[in-house]
Order: sequence, then structure tokens, then C-alpha cells
Amino acid sequence: MPTVAQSIPAASLLQALLDAGVQDVVAVPDTHQRTLISAIEEHADLRFIQATTEDEATAICAGLIVGGRRPLLQIQHAGLYACVNNLRGLGIDGAFPIVLLAGLLGRDPAKAPGDDFGSMVRLAGPLLDALEIPHYLIDGPADLPHLAAAYAEAEARGGPVALLLGAETC
Amino acid sequence: MPDDAPERRMTRDAALDVLARRRTDQVVVSAMTALGPWRQRSPSDRNLFNLGFMGGASTYALGVALARPDVPVWVIDGDGSLLMQLGSLATIAHAAPANFLHVVMHNGIYETSGAQPIPGEGRLSFAGMAREAGYAHAARFDDVEAFDAELDDLLSRDGPTLVELFTAPGDSFYAPAPPPAERPTPAVARNWPVVRDALRTD
Ligand SMILES: Cc1ncc(C[n+]2csc(CCOP(=O)(O)OP(=O)(O)O)c2C)c(N)n1
Ligand SMILES: [Mg+2]
Repeated sequence: MPTVAQSIPAASLLQALLDAGVQDVVAVPDTHQRTLISAIEEHADLRFIQATTEDEATAICAGLIVGGRRPLLQIQHAGLYACVNNLRGLGIDGAFPIVLLAGLLGRDPAKAPGDDFGSMVRLAGPLLDALEIPHYLIDGPADLPHLAAAYAEAEARGGPVALLLGAETC
Repeated sequence: MPDDAPERRMTRDAALDVLARRRTDQVVVSAMTALGPWRQRSPSDRNLFNLGFMGGASTYALGVALARPDVPVWVIDGDGSLLMQLGSLATIAHAAPANFLHVVMHNGIYETSGAQPIPGEGRLSFAGMAREAGYAHAARFDDVEAFDAELDDLLSRDGPTLVELFTAPGDSFYAPAPPPAERPTPAVARNWPVVRDALRTD
């Protein structure tokens, strides 16, 4: 059976974030997650913190963790390529339990990301492998439990865990 | 206000002494050639080190400031480091943490990597850029006594505040240590849990 990524409603994702204990969302806007961004901005219990680059957003997450908060790093696949040095320096060397949610904009929903024609989609997994960062595909509502599990794994391993969002949120 | 390429520059040590004399419970993030001398002058379980992620000091500090609005946060940044993530000025101004002091050690060079000049040296103003980005306050000093005289007033105001200090270039070139026999726990991973625990309120 071919993989078919399904769109997840923003409200379901938002609830999964709250269930995972997320307090702050640190972001550079991801086209793929724009409905989720709007929902977060309107939600009273989640603080939305904007950065100009994903390198900055990664360091903000680390500082928030020092201060006892639970942040989510919300970016696009392109942003993953933009924050490699801070992900390595803070995530790997610093052992910060940063959970990131990256949208695979432009992904062919009928293919596994590793078979995608677009390099942004295809190389995200191999890049995370190179960085020794575990990653999971969120390909529909059934995958939402990965969110809380990612925080548990990040704490347990002392390092980042990545969630790749397969289809645009609705 | 001095010209962009001042005749006079304070020493890094004198500048750090002025800050260390006021240091109480602040979380202080230090970077590059300020890091070692700061740690020596002001040892504390609230010192965070920007090691191995050049450019990240200001936003690392911002995260702490946003997590703990009740704790004053200082960052002692390098000029080359800040240029690397200059957008952080807009990010910090936008988040507008009142408890945030951003000190930029403007020595005009990438001292750690061999004293190459930074782009724009002699023309750019970090205080000017911070002000235009929307920081609440920004000031620049080439004279350590003037800095000492005005710091209390600057600290008494709500931030974010940026202080640009013209410091004399030194020669603290970084030579890597010989390779260790076993894989060590990196310094950043050893450092931040100490600060997290010191900040715990429960
Ligand atoms: C991403 C990255 N690029 C380049 C370097 C090499 N590098 C190490 S220290 C340094 C200069 C730091 O300059 P500055 O922030 O002005 O601090 P100073 O040494 O002058 O105190 C550079 C370019 C690095 N560490 N990381
Ligand atoms: Mg410098």
C-alpha cells in the first residue's frame, strides 16, 4: 500500500502539544503549518516566540529549557538546513532535549519522504541521521501520540528529537 | 558619543571589572574572549557559557530571560559573534524582555580566530543598530570611567538595553587542546544543568 500523508487539523495538533506539556512555541514561520501557527497565536496558554532564523530559535529553546520551560521548536524543512550549527552545538554537544517539528513543504504525499524528488524533503531524514538525531514522521492524526513520546525520548536521551510533518495542517 | 573608530578604547579586563562589581544574582552568558576572564572575576552557578555555537549568546540569553522574567539576564557578546546572528537584535526587541542587558565587546576584530577585522569596522554602530531595531535603550562607551558612572542608571531602567563597549584588541588566539583519549562530556552539557538547578524555585 502506498504511503499517503493526511492533513491534520490545527486544533488536534494544538491539543497534542498541550497534552505534551508544551508551554512555548519558538518559530520561524513554516508555510506548511500556517493554520497551526494561527491557532497557537490565539491560544492563551501557549506563548509564541518568533525568531529571525532557526539558529536563533534553537538557542532560544535552549535558554528556555535552562529556565525550566518546555518549548517546541517549530520550523520548516528549510529551517532545519539553516540551524545545523546550533542544533549540533546545543542539541548534541549541549545535550539539550529540544523537540522540533518541521514541515515537509512540497512533499509528494503519495511517496515516502526519502523517495521525494525535492531535495528539501528527501534530505531531511539523512541530515538528521548524520546529526545523530532520532526522527519520526507525523503522517496523519494516528501519529499524534509521537508528540508526547518525543519529549519523553528527548529527556531520556539528553538530546534533540525531530518530528517531520508530512502534510499541510488544515 | 564617540566616533565609530574611536582613538581611545578601554581594556576588556577593566570593562569586565565594572560589570563584575555589580554582579549579584544575574544569569550571565559570556562569549569568546570575555568568557575566561569573566568566569575568573565572577564565579557563579549562574554563569552560562557560549562555547561551540558562535553567534548564539544573545538568543541563548533571551530564552532564559523569557523563561524567568524575575531574574536579570546579562549577555557579554562578541562583536563578530553578534554580526553572525544580527537578526537577533530584532528578535530581542520584538520579545522585549525588561530583564535583559546586552553588552557588546566591540574590539573590532575576530580576536579568537586570529585577529581578522570584522566587516564594517570603523563604520557600524551596534548601539545604533539596537536602537533602530527597537531596544528600549542603547549606549556606547570608549571610556571605562564614563561606563562605570552610567551603568547603574542603565541597569535601573527596563530593557532590553544594549551597551556597546569599545575595547582594545588583544591577542587571545584560540589554540585547540590536544585530542582526548576518551570521548568527554562537552563543556556546554556540563554547564547548563548547574544553572538550571540554581534557578529552580521548587
Ligand atoms: C559558525 C562559526 N564560524 C566560524 C567560527 C570561527 N571563529 C571562532 S572564534 C571567531 C571569532 C570571534 O569573534 P568575536 O565574536 O568578535 O569575539 P572575540 O574573539 O573578538 O572576543 C571565529 C570567526 C566559529 N567558531 N563558528
Ligand atoms: Mg571581536
